[in-house]
Formats: sequence, C-alpha cells, structure tokens
Amino acid sequence: MRLGPDAQRRIAVVLADVFGEPIGVARDIAKFLDGYLQRVPARAALGLRVGVWAVTWLPFALIGVPLPADALSPSARARYIAHWTHSRHYLLREAFYLLKAVALMGWSAHPAVRARLDVGPLAVTRDRAST
Amino acid sequence: MSHGKDTDAADFVVVGSGAGGAPAALALAQAGRDVIVLEEGPEVREQDRGQGAAESLLRLFRDNGTQVAMGRSVIPVLQGRCVGGTTVVNGAIVWRLPEDAYERAFGSIGAKDAIPLAALEERMDRIERDLSVAPAPERLLGGNGSLMKRGSEKLGWEGHAIRRNVLDCQGSARCMEACPTKRKQSMEVTYLPRAVALGARIRADHEVRTIDMSASRAVGVTGVRGDGSPFRVAARLGVILAASAIQSPCILRRSGIGPREHVGSHFRLHPGTAVAGVYRDPVRLWEGATQSYEVDEFRRDGFKMEVVGLPVELAGVRLPGMGDAFQRAIADYPNMAVWGVQVRAEAEGTVSPASGRADLRYTPERADMETMRRGVRRLAEMHFAAGAVRVYPGVHGGPDVLESPDDLGKMDDLPLDPRCWSLISSHVFSTCRMAADERAGVVDFNGAVHGTRGLWVLDASALPTNLGVNPQHTIMALSSLLTERIA
Repeated sequence: MRLGPDAQRRIAVVLADVFGEPIGVARDIAKFLDGYLQRVPARAALGLRVGVWAVTWLPFALIGVPLPADALSPSARARYIAHWTHSRHYLLREAFYLLKAVALMGWSAHPAVRARLDVGPLAVTRDRAST
Repeated sequence: MSHGKDTDAADFVVVGSGAGGAPAALALAQAGRDVIVLEEGPEVREQDRGQGAAESLLRLFRDNGTQVAMGRSVIPVLQGRCVGGTTVVNGAIVWRLPEDAYERAFGSIGAKDAIPLAALEERMDRIERDLSVAPAPERLLGGNGSLMKRGSEKLGWEGHAIRRNVLDCQGSARCMEACPTKRKQSMEVTYLPRAVALGARIRADHEVRTIDMSASRAVGVTGVRGDGSPFRVAARLGVILAASAIQSPCILRRSGIGPREHVGSHFRLHPGTAVAGVYRDPVRLWEGATQSYEVDEFRRDGFKMEVVGLPVELAGVRLPGMGDAFQRAIADYPNMAVWGVQVRAEAEGTVSPASGRADLRYTPERADMETMRRGVRRLAEMHFAAGAVRVYPGVHGGPDVLESPDDLGKMDDLPLDPRCWSLISSHVFSTCRMAADERAGVVDFNGAVHGTRGLWVLDASALPTNLGVNPQHTIMALSSLLTERIA
C-alpha cells in the first residue's frame, strides 16, 4: 500500500502544524509514512491509510468547512486538529493518536530534529557497536 | 542456521526460539537428543542491531510492531519475532519468581509437588550464572534510574537496581532494538549457540502452522518458510511448542488439538502505561541501561513500577499540544524521566488464529483500571518526590500536566474507561494453561497437552496465571525443568 505524492503533500501540511515543523521536515515525515505503509501487514497499513485519508478529507464533517485539511486556514486547521485530538469519540481520537505515533517515528529520524534535540544518532554505527 | 529441506527429521522439534524454546533446545541437546528448532522470524544480523525504534519494530517484532489486542480499547502487544524471540528485544529484566507468585500460579492448581519451587529455583540459579545476571551497577542507572531511586528513597518505598542478564553493559539504552554490542545475554547469543554446538539445528524463517498427529501422538510439524514454500519436519520422539502465549494456542487451534474451551482462552496480560516527569537537570534517557531501577513496594497490591528509557518518538506520543505547544513540550525531552507501571490484571481475554495473524481480544476489568489509576498516581507522586517540576500523566480526560504535588489529588479522579488510557503490554500468559485435567486447562503438570502423546507446551501460555513480575526467568526455568524430564 502506498501514500501517493498528492496524499503526501496534503498530509504533510497537517503534520507541519501538528509538530510545529517546517514544511520540508513534514514532507520527509510524509515520505516516511509512505515507506512504513509498504512494510507493515496489510491490515495495519489499511488502517493507517484510512486514517490519513480521514484526517485529510473530513474537515466538512468535523468543522463544517468544505475543504481538505491542507487547504484550511491555519486557525481553522488548528481547530480541526483539536477536534481529532480532543474528540469524545474514541475511534477518532485513537485514529489520530496512531497516525501521530507512526509519524513521530519519521519525525524523530529526521537529522534536523535530532540535531536540535541533541539526542545523538538514530542508529549506532558498526564501529561504535563493536566497542 | 540455514534453510532445511522438506524431509527434515529429528528426535524433537522445538517450535520457537525464545525464553521457552531455547532452554528446551539446550536441555535436549545436552541430553544427546537430535533437535531442530523452528523459528518463524529471521536471524538477527549485525546490521539489525541498534537501528532505532522504528527499524527495530519493523524488523524484529511480531507484525512489524503493529500487533494489538482489541476490546473496549486498542492495546499494543509487543513481542519479538526473530531468532531468540522476545529475549532479543526486551529490557533484560530478570525477576526470580517470588514465593507469593509461585503460590498463586502453581499452588492454586495443586502443582506444588510436581513443580516444586526449589526445583525452579535450582534452574534459576543456573540460568543466572549462565546469563551473567546481576543488578544494574550505579554507573548504569542513568538519570532515569537515579531519579527513581531518589524518589522512592524519599518516600520510603522499597526499590532496587534491576537484575539484568547483561555482561559488561555499555549503557547504550538500546535493549529493545537488539543490543548493538551483544552484551545482553539473550537467547540468540547464549543458549541457542550452545545448543548448536551440541548438534541442534536452528531454522529461521520457518513458520509452523500445524502439528501433525498420528493416533493422538505428535509426529511432526507442517508450515511455510519465509519465501512461501511449504515444509514438513518429522519428530521421532515429540514436539515441544514454545511459540509464545499468542502463537502456541493458534497452532493448537489450527491443528484441532486440545480442549477447545481452554486453548486460547484465559489470555492474561500485564497491561501498563507510563508517566513522564520533567526535571531541572538533564536526565538523558538515551544513556545508561534501558531499564535500570524498579520499585516493588506495591507488587502485592497488584502493580510494580520500573523506569523505561523511551526514545524521543515514543516519549513524544503522550505529550499534549500541537505546533508550538508540542515543540515546547518535546524540548523538555532531554530533561524528562519516564517511568512505567504494569498491572497484574485479573481480566481474561482470548487468542485465536485469523488469516495470517492472531486475533487478540482483551478488555481490562474495572478493578484492573482502578489498580492502574493507583499506579500512575504513585508514579506522579514519586516524580515530585524526586524533584520533578512538572508531570505528564498522559490520560485523556485528566489533567494534561501536573505542576506541583498539590495537583496530585486530580489523579484520583482519572477516568477508569480504558479508552482514555494509552495502555500497552509485552507480557502475555496462560492461553494453554496448566491444570490437573482437561476440564480446567490444556497441559498437565509436565507441560504435556492433555489427551496427546509426544506434545508439550513450554512457554508462557502454560503458566496458570499472570505472575505480577517480568516472566522471562520463570518461563526459562519452567522450560528447563520440564524438558529435563522429557529428554
């Protein structure tokens, strides 16, 4: 299962707001999501793909604005994301939580993020491992 | 460790290479038996070690880290799926089975004569020598462990450095990514190579689907390799199922073996959650032992607490806020300590085979959630005692952040609905539980499946109940003891 270029572009705009990162970093996170979808079992991939679709396309259902999430104004998008994260409905909240959890793995792998947090390399290098 | 041919045969086939299978394979090999170990997952290569949380989940965990138990809420259930099983990716915690847990597990089913505590302790002594088990030294406590020690001491709670199966730990805080320096004495670097040296053969990427039976006797196994090709291995003397409390019942169910009302039933967990505290001074979760210190003051009340060296991506999941608020919260990561609570839950769920996976059903009982709530309350209290300037409980419907001990009272009102919590579990039990006869369980006091010959279950699924402590030591000791009788 894939996350196509258009879907990556749209969800990147949302992720940039969620994590407070520049759009370039968010696009790399979206690319990570695409790679992740290709490596996990079909059932999990389908769930995540549906989650990405829903976050992208449900502003009308949740805040009454007939636009995809990436086309919302920043304030409307903040309101929209808050609908997911603070929803009374477990499935909505959990879907966003799972998307955030997977996206965070792509976020933490980003060199700019790791450098900013000063948490060292993502993976050990072989020569370091052999010490 | 190579791929086998379709016509393999051995005295014993051991299904699974983790805490149950590896000691069984070693005991059989030591007794001079011809053994084949079949492991569904891949070998752990050098380049698989220490690659970060995401790569570890994708390469070394069951369902690439996406396995969940479904019920009122979704609970991730983490298990290793590689040569060495979960011992490769666990926190290296080695807990001797306490007497009260022994009584609850084996005393309650009348198995004390068949499985004396002294016999288990004898095996535990040997395992501890073999795996270089020792308390985490002071230098490896890290900021995370040192703070828990400080907090528990201030409160007068019983705590101690965690006893770990690590030889000359380098403190890279990557236990759960397969130790990058191979210092963790997990099964793929200890018992499995020893078994191979004695002639055992290990087949990675071999998923057993069914047990072959002839006149109620197990005579072999059938399955598929990682490349999709089928295989069969004949067992001249018997089959030992040690594929975990999730896979073992699935194999029995697919094979139509065992009392149907018990195989895959009585599924027990240690559900847990974590609470993060932010401190004035750096904590640096990425340094020291991944899990170095624990507090068992409340173990008899149903929960225990331990440090968890979460990487930033996992620590960040529970943080509130988005955008700038998220950035402010995550900027605290270097100063963050993360401590977990795991509950000896009373709830029982089910495990059954589904297409290409296991179907896990589980919902904690209200009493379990009350215990969980008491546990996170205690964690928050201990954070403040250790000097935390704020604490993130991470429970929906509760406060996003606690700013001082005066806020602790808010924890008493946390909702008990599991859908408000981020629960997780890595300890699974009892899906082929031990019992005197098949009216109450799946295996007898020797681990033999009731009503069969030549078929044993020697993993956490055979445990009569959950233990309330980290189970790998008990699983290994029980497997060793019972395999010595089989061999």
